[in-house]
Amino acid sequence: MKKKTAGLIASLLGAALIAAPAQAQDARIALLGGITGPIAAMAPPMLEAMKLAVTHVNEQGGIGNGGKLNFVIGDSACNPQNATDAATKAVNIDRVIGVVGPACSGAVLAAANSVTVPAGVLMITSSGTSPQITNINDKDLVYRTVPSDDYQGRALARTIKERGMSKVAVAYLNNDYGKGLAEAFKDEFESIGGTLAGYSGHEAGKASYRSDLAELARGGADTLVIFDYGDGTGLVLLRQALENNFFKNFIGADGMRSDAVIRELGADNLETFFTSAPVGEASASLDAFNKAFAAAGQDPNTIFATTSYDAAFLMALTIEKAGGDKAKMAAALRSVSSAPGEPVMVGEWAKAKKLIAEGKDINYMGAAGEHEFDEAGDVPGNYAFFKVSGNTYEAIAEMK
Amino acid sequence: MTVLNFINFYIVPGLVLGSIYAVGAIGITMVFGIMRFAHLAHGDMATMGAFFALAAIGLFGVSPWMALPIAMIMAAVLAVGIDRVFYDYLRERPKILTVMASLGLALMLRSAVQVIWGVDPVTYVRGIVRPDSYFGILLRPRELYTLLSLIVIVVALTLFLKTSKWGKAMRAMSDNPDLALLSGVDNRMVTILTWSIVGALCAAAGFMLGINTELNSMMGWHLLLPMFAAAILGGVGRVEGAVLGGFIVGLVEELSVLVLPGQYKAATAFVILLLILLVRPRGLLNGKVL
Amino acid sequence: MELIGLANYAVFMGILIGIYALLSLALNIQWGLTGLFNAGIAGFFAIGAYTSAILTSPHVAGRVGGFDMPILVGWAAAMLMATLIAWPIARICLRFRSDYLAIATIGVAEIFRLIIKSEDWLTGGSRGITGIPRPFGDLPYVQSQLAYLALVVIAVLVVYLLVERQLRSPWGRMMRAIRDNEASAAAMGKNVEARRRQAFMFGSAIMGLAGALFVHFNRSITPEAIDPMIATFLIWIMLILGGSGNNRGAILGAIVIWLIWSISEMLTDRLPTEVAIQAKYVRIFIIGLMLQLVLRFRPEGILPEEHKKKPVPPGRVQP
Repeated sequence: MKKKTAGLIASLLGAALIAAPAQAQDARIALLGGITGPIAAMAPPMLEAMKLAVTHVNEQGGIGNGGKLNFVIGDSACNPQNATDAATKAVNIDRVIGVVGPACSGAVLAAANSVTVPAGVLMITSSGTSPQITNINDKDLVYRTVPSDDYQGRALARTIKERGMSKVAVAYLNNDYGKGLAEAFKDEFESIGGTLAGYSGHEAGKASYRSDLAELARGGADTLVIFDYGDGTGLVLLRQALENNFFKNFIGADGMRSDAVIRELGADNLETFFTSAPVGEASASLDAFNKAFAAAGQDPNTIFATTSYDAAFLMALTIEKAGGDKAKMAAALRSVSSAPGEPVMVGEWAKAKKLIAEGKDINYMGAAGEHEFDEAGDVPGNYAFFKVSGNTYEAIAEMK
Repeated sequence: MTVLNFINFYIVPGLVLGSIYAVGAIGITMVFGIMRFAHLAHGDMATMGAFFALAAIGLFGVSPWMALPIAMIMAAVLAVGIDRVFYDYLRERPKILTVMASLGLALMLRSAVQVIWGVDPVTYVRGIVRPDSYFGILLRPRELYTLLSLIVIVVALTLFLKTSKWGKAMRAMSDNPDLALLSGVDNRMVTILTWSIVGALCAAAGFMLGINTELNSMMGWHLLLPMFAAAILGGVGRVEGAVLGGFIVGLVEELSVLVLPGQYKAATAFVILLLILLVRPRGLLNGKVL
Repeated sequence: MELIGLANYAVFMGILIGIYALLSLALNIQWGLTGLFNAGIAGFFAIGAYTSAILTSPHVAGRVGGFDMPILVGWAAAMLMATLIAWPIARICLRFRSDYLAIATIGVAEIFRLIIKSEDWLTGGSRGITGIPRPFGDLPYVQSQLAYLALVVIAVLVVYLLVERQLRSPWGRMMRAIRDNEASAAAMGKNVEARRRQAFMFGSAIMGLAGALFVHFNRSITPEAIDPMIATFLIWIMLILGGSGNNRGAILGAIVIWLIWSISEMLTDRLPTEVAIQAKYVRIFIIGLMLQLVLRFRPEGILPEEHKKKPVPPGRVQP
């Protein structure tokens, strides 16, 4: 039995090898997402956004001299064991030149620490928001197109204080996303004179949060800030709050800005519901993304869709600029993403290719922001404040 | 906090949750009592039942509560089938192997739901439903129906077990299987009946959870431990025990936020479980200790 | 396609398989030898992981830590902590019958997971702990992995030899006797409860070690690593498939299941995306199905237990 098993394994591995030939000019990247696991509902649109970027690249001339940009998909399952497995496969067997993803911060930490950094492979994550990622000892190889939770939480605190809400209650999901936002929010809000009349965490998947809401409401605030996912428990919370007349105003971060919320609860019940989300300052870029993504049959408002597109597109620009040389990737990324340079927007691959070939400097202005990476590979992020309008969200203010 | 607030935001949700746990716990206690093992696939069977109801609404265009009986029948058939294929051959072996098989089955059911219906959460009805006020007590129709369904289920089941021939046979199997066989009880029929009832109860529990919150592929797994806690708390093998246990677990869970941080709500069922196993393993109503 | 890449991947797989083999060996002591259905492996894995992490990582504001102990101290402490915490749990839970024990241990592991997620001052909460040192971490990629593999292999060998010796010793025979016929063993004056507790604590110590090894490999730990699916059930399936009661079986089970898990991931990656996503869920279905198939067609596993007597069914008198 053992010999047969060994033979079977060998032939399967052989098949995997044969299935992955690489022509000299083609480039290959890995798209790692949390396909199974706690964020499974959010993973497909993120992958679709990354694939959209790849499509744009290949439709407009591809990589180098007409080579194609290929990708392999890996499942990090949002835990370190699977994330390192997927990353190791991608780096060693598929020989990718760059990794886009993984999605969960824990997965990013593990995959970066044990695979991509030692192997010298560039990683751009579009949804790892934990502040811990800033501190990875990464030889300049780990970047993110999504700002650390710290920024969004603080910006939200400042914005709603400005709008006159100075006494709020906070309900956060007990994971790195919700907790990270909540802590940053709390810190900033209290330091600018706001009062937190309730601050409580919750786990996902419980049937009723009414008692949690009742506890939060006891503090006397009429605004509830929800740091959770609109595709998950955040929806249940919001529904139960609305149904039981807890709180008058509701605020959420980008996780809550989901079409599911409007669909399930009805726009007319959501008139006092506002969310924040990262946006690109060059609104033309964001519009281009929205159009293209909607044309591909997807919802452009989905969380991390914009950052995922940007991560993949930036990866492609980097490969083009580095001429396919792994060692030059980090420097190339900084070059194509920072000012000064000729602005390149979502979908403008042909233009970018031409400029790179001419040796000119470019500056990618993405759908989710300008992506001026700082030393640690983080971006500050621009945010907008959204209200519900019709069956989608409309930006009403910029957040500082 | 006013008494009315306390009732509306702590007691009522606790009772509704308790009803859901109770319906599931009845099934678990029946499997414990008659089939004599811990059915770890119970939660995911409830998930399957809830999604059956969703499918029924989609296929036949009926209202959710009308879809419930259809889902219960489908789940009953599924449960009998599962027993025939996955548990039956293990009957003469140590029970722990059946427990393992049920664990594997839980994974299979869950991933089947994920493949067929996807991982996005869905609901039976859109929009929000504001409650009606009954002398200050706020209740929604669906919550009322949930409580009523529980009562109907318990009454029907108790009558069946106490008065009908097959009900008595099931109780005999539960009390003393060897003696029951000697008395001529048809083991196979009892097994089929038991699983049909258990399947139907799973579907009801899953449906009730879905209609009060939402459906997703992990919903049943999150119910599993509270349901076990409820069954063991009430006393294994006693239907009334499962109901009592269900309400206690539901209420304690909702009331726990008064003393514990919100994150630990999920732990209250486990703590109850451990406590009862330590202090009084027969449960409150003196069930069996297996 | 370079052979180096494949070899690298094999080394990585070896490391993970080694860690899982440790967990499987530990479970073998508890289940295979003593008949204890421990469904809370994730909990002890977590204790070992976090203990080593807290002791060896640098200081971070708001969290207990900054001890900067050497790595080996961290590992020893991981095993010690896991053993210490196993003691009260054993005292409380081991008297339960096996399926109650299963439920109780699931509950215990869940409580640990919730505490880890919520008590930031101790564990960093959902953020986890980073900056954990890695032995030979400064070497280049390939060498660093090889060195770590060597460490893991040594650990597995030592544990294997230790457990094998125990299994063949009088202690091992006594444990099997207790497992197969508790009444007779008790009648002979053996302190059944104490022996069971020993086995439970022994197994937990090894689970703690596995946790520590895992954490130092990734230089970080977050609560998702102790999700029940990946840190408990997978190991159960490994042991059942490999052969419970047999240490080589435990290791073989780890190899086979992880290979299947990993290769199925590779195969599903090759499919077009829409189908690939569905296919990922089918993997879990297949694992559950495999468990059924093993239970039906070869419940003793690939490598059955040696010197196994037929267990005496309850209620029958041995002729």
